[in-house]
Amino acid sequence: MRDLFSERDDWKKPMAISAGLHILFAALVILAGYVSGPRGQMWGGDTTGSSVTATLVSTIPLPHPQVTSDNIVANESKGQTQSIPKPPVEEKPEAVPIPENPPKHKIDRNPVTPTYNKPPATPTPQDNRVPSGAGGPISGPFASFAAANARGGISAQGGDFGSRFAWYVQAVSTKVSNNWYTIEIGSNVGPHRVWVTFDVQRDGAPTNVRIEQSSGVPSLDQSTLRAVQRIDTFGPLPPGYSGSKVSVEFWFDYQR
Amino acid sequence: MLKKMKLFLLILSLSFALTPASAQDKFRTGTNLGATMRMAAADFKASTGDPQTGPLNTVFNQTLWNDLDNSGIFEMVAKSFYPLQTPGSPGEIKLEAWGNPPPNASMVAFGNLGVANGKIEVQGWLFDAKNTASPQVLGKQYKEDATPENARLIAHRFADEIIYRLGGGIPGIAETKIYFISSRTGSKEVFSMDYDGAGQQQLTHLRSIALSPRVSPDNSRVAFSGLITDSQRGPSWQILMYSLDLGRPVNFSHFGGGNFTPAWSSDNTRLAFSSSMPGDPEIYTVGANGGSPKRLTAFRGSDVAPVWNPKTNGQIAWVSGRNGLPQIFVMDADGSNIQQMTSEGYAVSPSWSPNGQFLTFSWIRHYGPGAPGGQDIYIMDVASRQFVQLTHDARVNDFPSWSPDGRHIVFQSNRSGSDQIWMMLADGTHQQQLTREGKNSQPNWSYK
Repeated sequence: MRDLFSERDDWKKPMAISAGLHILFAALVILAGYVSGPRGQMWGGDTTGSSVTATLVSTIPLPHPQVTSDNIVANESKGQTQSIPKPPVEEKPEAVPIPENPPKHKIDRNPVTPTYNKPPATPTPQDNRVPSGAGGPISGPFASFAAANARGGISAQGGDFGSRFAWYVQAVSTKVSNNWYTIEIGSNVGPHRVWVTFDVQRDGAPTNVRIEQSSGVPSLDQSTLRAVQRIDTFGPLPPGYSGSKVSVEFWFDYQR
Repeated sequence: MLKKMKLFLLILSLSFALTPASAQDKFRTGTNLGATMRMAAADFKASTGDPQTGPLNTVFNQTLWNDLDNSGIFEMVAKSFYPLQTPGSPGEIKLEAWGNPPPNASMVAFGNLGVANGKIEVQGWLFDAKNTASPQVLGKQYKEDATPENARLIAHRFADEIIYRLGGGIPGIAETKIYFISSRTGSKEVFSMDYDGAGQQQLTHLRSIALSPRVSPDNSRVAFSGLITDSQRGPSWQILMYSLDLGRPVNFSHFGGGNFTPAWSSDNTRLAFSSSMPGDPEIYTVGANGGSPKRLTAFRGSDVAPVWNPKTNGQIAWVSGRNGLPQIFVMDADGSNIQQMTSEGYAVSPSWSPNGQFLTFSWIRHYGPGAPGGQDIYIMDVASRQFVQLTHDARVNDFPSWSPDGRHIVFQSNRSGSDQIWMMLADGTHQQQLTREGKNSQPNWSYK
């Protein structure tokens, strides 16, 4: 008899352990639900809807301002609108000696992107002056192109084509830029620079298109080649130019 | 063997070393350079005292300015910034005054215009204002009979020369024409006008209904569909032809059923159109003289408004109602390889860009009572089927047609209260109204 009673006593203990374990398990499940896993869906987030993203505006072969310049009217620095006489411009000699062997251009694989969130610590009046009241239109950096072609980003090399026919260089730059459809490049490609070289024949047709310096991203390289190959003509070379063709070194800066 | 190889390599390297370095001009440039070119178009200087000189000069200056502005390549410098002295010849221009602020122009177009002995004579130059060493980009001379039309024509030609040079070989559109349907005379007739809306004139006198004019690529004929009454068959819709060379209608084959929406292949050899001769409207092609019709589609539901890929003539886009509401489809020119381009709403009136890359069409994306949005012009990249909306004013915009330079689109819109012809740059900017008289619709831009 006593054995039977003791068996009954033993029966309670496993029950308690079992109940405890169940409660512990339920608690764990609830806790896990809170700790891990998304609760609900992200609204307007990374959904896979059927709508197509429309990003074609930049790819239509139309001119668009290609320089993103600091807006000198609306930046975060203090405005100082008083007219300050221009400092005397330092006269530079007209002729700059051309080095015998021009150094090979250095490829900037990661071009520095301008940052807009850091206003200059001590803004000098010359930098943020609004050019007004001087009897002329606003003539900021966004409007200067031609002089820059010869002296700035475009450098004449192996001849004076770039300085004599800056307008033709500009036409080539604009036309290639407008025919570069960056939608062809994958979405997870970072900023890169690709150098492409080609010749422009007398009739304006680009030939001999090749990658001079690859970005390492095949789709990006391919898109730059296509941009040039898509063009039938840049228009005939200037009548005042006697050569039969002109070589072009063209860089493509890709920024997402 | 090794020796031979070495010798060969030696010769090879020598031959490279001995090749004279060719005097090859070279320049270096890249993307994201330079803003839009600032262009100044000085008023041309009167070179004679003829009383006609003044009015014609005004017409010329206005037309030249508009052409350069419409091209979308330049940022035009307002005339109020120009130097007071008007240059009439290269000897009179002071480049510093144009290249520096206030005008700060990159390019200056200038010249002189005069009427003598009933002839208008124009000399025009284009100078690079930033390049004082060799500024001349262009110098041209024109002579025509002294009429306002010719003053406009010379301005168009000079503008096209400038756009061709500075746009990198872009064919100017200043001399192109737009064909359209107007009901200003009481019945729908085919009209033509210059690309800027000037010189509108009536071509046909059907006194019934003319629709969908399409000019041939060689500018010799206009095909359209018209309602005519045949003595035996009674009234029917037929493809009709108007000869621009002869200035009168010319014969074209008649077919059974209703025949609509003709379209020229860009090589001028074939026409595609929609015909209901089998009972259901289907796409047919015929030779340019109307011979050997060939059926391309065979599906229940209307197939209308074909348009050729002008780059290859190997593909045709059209509107099909086989799945219910009309949608844009593309097939090869032999009727094979059918692909559906749009799959929602109500899409009509395709037009193929000259480079073969894009389609433009009119689309009601959300069709039905109470649905948001209107009927708007879209363009779609044919390869990727990505699209972008060009008009956004929620009224009816229809019948887009590409310009031959692939940079402009002409279309019909009722945003002004009635159906009129509008023009815009192919990115949707620079929209302007071209017609105002009566109701005008279904524009078609000439090839050149």
